[in-house]
Amino acid sequence: MSDATTPEASPPDNAGKKILMIMTTGPEDPDKTYAPFYTAALMAAMEIDTTMYFLMHAPELLRKGAAEKVPLKKGGNLKMFLDMALENGVKFLACAESCRDLCEIAPGDLIDGVKLVGSATMADLALEADSVVSF
Amino acid sequence: MAILNGCEFPEDRSYFVERTQMTWVKVEGDQIRIGLTDPAQTRAGKVLHIRVKAAGTVRERGKPIATVESGKWAGPVMAPVAGTVTESNPEVEKDPSLLNTDPYGKGWIVRMTPAAPAELATLLSGESALARFKEILEKDNIRCLRCQT
Repeated sequence: MSDATTPEASPPDNAGKKILMIMTTGPEDPDKTYAPFYTAALMAAMEIDTTMYFLMHAPELLRKGAAEKVPLKKGGNLKMFLDMALENGVKFLACAESCRDLCEIAPGDLIDGVKLVGSATMADLALEADSVVSF
Repeated sequence: MAILNGCEFPEDRSYFVERTQMTWVKVEGDQIRIGLTDPAQTRAGKVLHIRVKAAGTVRERGKPIATVESGKWAGPVMAPVAGTVTESNPEVEKDPSLLNTDPYGKGWIVRMTPAAPAELATLLSGESALARFKEILEKDNIRCLRCQT
């Protein structure tokens, strides 16, 4: 017996739309880390220009070797979802101030694919985006 | 039917294998039918949702024709060649698990009219396709399974 869900309507053309995802949760709360990466990966697959902005403790997830140590309730760890988001084209931006002052991460300790930016960039991106989602 | 690591590869198909994409293409007159390969459906896990581009959508090669979600994987299904979507599979939209149970049959995703039929020659087939899949299956340690509903 199938547990198929209601068919999805034909998807709208999302090309050119922008979503900014603000990520504030770090490895201190693993249950809150999976959905943002999964959702961002999906949005990028839907041709939405998707950016994740990591601030407060969230940049800790981007430290080399950190995602592998974040366990998920469904099994495995966060690394495969972080990789999936990058593969699908999600842009990762990390708050330079959070990295330096709160997380104490040197730029060289971040995984490949992360760009360090200032807080003003978050303001610009939020104003440019069609929607801002916060986790 | 060739079998590698429990994954089936029908010999009457061509294959689009790039980055995370592993789709099959079957030429049917001036149209092509497209679906996920056995390793692609295995990697995705039981598919829960699929959103397919509507008939009439014009796509470049490598642009999404569908989005697939399984809970453990979310990603696009890319157009293997440039062309126009002519038909989507209503059965797979109603019951996405067909992608897992019958990926080369009832689980087809869309039909397209290629913009330039010569582009079909860029797809892999025969021994070259099997060699590429062998490399991927070994590298990613994929052994195919078919979910039963």
